Amino acid sequence: MTFLHPLALVGLVAAAIPALLHLLERRVPPEAEFPPLRYLSEAERQSARRLKLRHLLLLILRTLLIVLIVLAAARPLVPARTGGATVHAPTALALILDNSASSGVVVDGRPVLDRLRAVARGSLARTAAGDRVWLILADGVARGGVRERLLATVDSAAVSPRRLDLSAAVQQAARLVDAEPLPAREVHVVSDLQRTALGAGRADVPRGVRVLALAPPPQPPANRGIGTARVTDGAVTVGVVGTPGAAAAAVTVRVRGREVGRALAAPGAAVSIALPPLAPGWWVGEATLDPDELRADDRRVFAWRVAPPARVTAPQDAGPFVAAALAVLAEGGKVGIAGAGGARGPDVSIGERPDRRGGARTNVVIPPVDAALVGQVNRALAAGGGPWRFGGPGTPGPIAASSVAGIDGIQVTRRYRLEGGEDSTVVARVNGEPWLVRDPGEGRVLLLGSRLDTAWTALPAAPAFVPFVDALVNRLARGEAPVAEAEGAPRVEFRTRGTDTVGATVYGIDARESELAAAPPALVRRLLGAEVLEDPAFAAARFAGTGRADGSWLLLALALVVAVVELGVATLTR
Amino acid sequence: MTDVQRVDLLDPAEVARLGGIEIVAQGVVEGFLAGIHRSPFRGFSVEFTEHRAYQPGDEPRYLDWKMLARSDRLFVKQFEEETNLRAMILVDASRSMAWRGAPARLTKRAYGDRLAAALALILLRQRDATGLITFDEAVREVVPARVKSGQWARLVRGLVRTPDGRGTAAQAALVRLTALLARRGLVVLVSDLLFDRDLALTALRYLRHRGHQVIVVHLMDPAEAELSGPPEVRFRDPESAASVVVRPRELARVYGETVRREIAAWRTACRRHGIAYHHVLTDMPFGMALRLLA
Repeated sequence: MTFLHPLALVGLVAAAIPALLHLLERRVPPEAEFPPLRYLSEAERQSARRLKLRHLLLLILRTLLIVLIVLAAARPLVPARTGGATVHAPTALALILDNSASSGVVVDGRPVLDRLRAVARGSLARTAAGDRVWLILADGVARGGVRERLLATVDSAAVSPRRLDLSAAVQQAARLVDAEPLPAREVHVVSDLQRTALGAGRADVPRGVRVLALAPPPQPPANRGIGTARVTDGAVTVGVVGTPGAAAAAVTVRVRGREVGRALAAPGAAVSIALPPLAPGWWVGEATLDPDELRADDRRVFAWRVAPPARVTAPQDAGPFVAAALAVLAEGGKVGIAGAGGARGPDVSIGERPDRRGGARTNVVIPPVDAALVGQVNRALAAGGGPWRFGGPGTPGPIAASSVAGIDGIQVTRRYRLEGGEDSTVVARVNGEPWLVRDPGEGRVLLLGSRLDTAWTALPAAPAFVPFVDALVNRLARGEAPVAEAEGAPRVEFRTRGTDTVGATVYGIDARESELAAAPPALVRRLLGAEVLEDPAFAAARFAGTGRADGSWLLLALALVVAVVELGVATLTR
Repeated sequence: MTDVQRVDLLDPAEVARLGGIEIVAQGVVEGFLAGIHRSPFRGFSVEFTEHRAYQPGDEPRYLDWKMLARSDRLFVKQFEEETNLRAMILVDASRSMAWRGAPARLTKRAYGDRLAAALALILLRQRDATGLITFDEAVREVVPARVKSGQWARLVRGLVRTPDGRGTAAQAALVRLTALLARRGLVVLVSDLLFDRDLALTALRYLRHRGHQVIVVHLMDPAEAELSGPPEVRFRDPESAASVVVRPRELARVYGETVRREIAAWRTACRRHGIAYHHVLTDMPFGMALRLLA
């Protein structure tokens, strides 16, 4: 048996009061003369046994009365059927309120989040003082605290641009409650139970933790949203996501508020809309859809940089593949060939050693063909103040790079180890060792561990070679990071270095939020180990595993009976 | 005079406030005799004086049948008319008699004194020789039975002179009393009988054996008949050091039964030995108590 107010059990000490009073009854009674003492003694002798029994009975009844009252004050919880349970055993409860972007969808005239909040409020309202409660929202943060504060948090919870991984959240919640030494542990999942919100793996729910999931609305509306918007080659590619099979919708692209293009696209399709010629610099645009039931995914911003083509010089020692790639890029207007006209010097030089004389702002240094020249190149690099230098030969392996698209996995058969610099300046690696590094010093240097030749690496023969060279001379050589994408409210944040803007991060909601289809209950049971329940069943099932009724009324009734019996014994047995 | 105005039927404590023993007793007796219009006590121990020849009209019951058998002549017995009865009133003056259960009531001793004085006055008025003996653990006062004038005043003085007892009424005193009552007559014992019943009965039975008519007046305060008091109290016997702590409410019922059983035992034992027994509570009007004795 458990008690709501176990501290009240200290009052059981009071049960000893009748016995103590009986034992300590040493007070001096008033004295009076009474001549017929012989009659009194005779009467007492006759009543001694009866009075002894009576006193013992009264002692037991009064002690029992105090015990019953103290137990009632401690509010004992007795097992009860679900319907009769009014209170529950102390429970560790983690409430997951999924206020991710998808919860903003309007169903039957009201946002799904309103329904979820109401259910969450119901769960919190049922908690008692002895419970330990956490609230987990879409941001994944577990908030502990008193019921009132958590209720306020639920009331103020708005639709979040964040996606909630339900599997991870349930696992986190289950671990939280499992660590609590309380009789019961429950996780309430109040979510629209998107299929895409469930991870591929199964949540690890410890034994003894009960997971209840609110059943989603039966028919989520068809939805379309902007999943991606990226600028490449003077056009923005807009990916439309949402309910498969939904009708196509009009995608409108605006740059600085001015509409620059429009196209139709259905979920799963992508449209490319050309951007007008724009002056060099950073630009921000947006792709929008006509409003539907889920507004959060109807707009996505994008950013890109319009840069002048880098002027590149590539001596003969750079190799034929580099020369060919530059020719292609020059033909496309992506680079300018230094020395081909104009008074301006090269922006980027590609060769076996840093070009100090030509005045190039950035040197892309590749290993010399002759290994004997490596030392000479290293001295030149050191003279430029850079920390990086060529080391000994490295082992073959695939390229691993996160910031340069398309080159991951391309095999490197020959290379030099790059040594001496900081890890943060590594752009690409082979076998975990730096392969492409950038020296951020005054004389900018990009150092490659392999020559751009098929004898060293398969990269020149790969389709990604020309884009790689483009990125190398137009982006990496200038120290510009790519436009990064992150989850959050739609906006663009620029990264700067000195007075230069060197990158941007575009925020938007996760494209998976646009797929509103709910996961089948069987899948939820399997992946989350949860019971999927409709609203009434959910309300009845929460805390029902430890459903208890307040036994204090029963004890008080018993105490009343004992009191009546005591009164009867005290009066009728005189 | 109506019953309402009769002093003998008023509350004893109220009556006691009228004056001393004499006044109270006279008032009680006046009322009492006015109520019954005849002498309540019949003499049986009248003294034989001489024989005379039977004359027609004499009651046959006074014929001396032995003389008839011896002389074949009829004689009737001649009796002394002045001395009808020799009565001796024994008043218990032990310490337990000086107790009352409530301030508004008379002590058993005060009640007994007034009852004895009234009884003596009645007896003396009908020319019965009446005496008094007071006793506790010893015989305190002895007023021989006389019928001459001033006897009642002597009896009353004997009562007044006897202080409240300092000890218990001992059986030894009763035995001593029997020796003092050489001539047979009426013996009235006024006591709360808080002594050993068997020993007391032995003495009374002896008196009865000597030819006395014995009347026992068992005085009891109402508070002795029904137990009451504070929730817990130590009751102490005024005649001994004995005491007992009791809860009156717990013992009241059994105590009442014990008292009633004791009274019944006294009544049965007295009846068995030809002794008249009367239980008198001290809130009983004197007239009613006298009526019991008549």
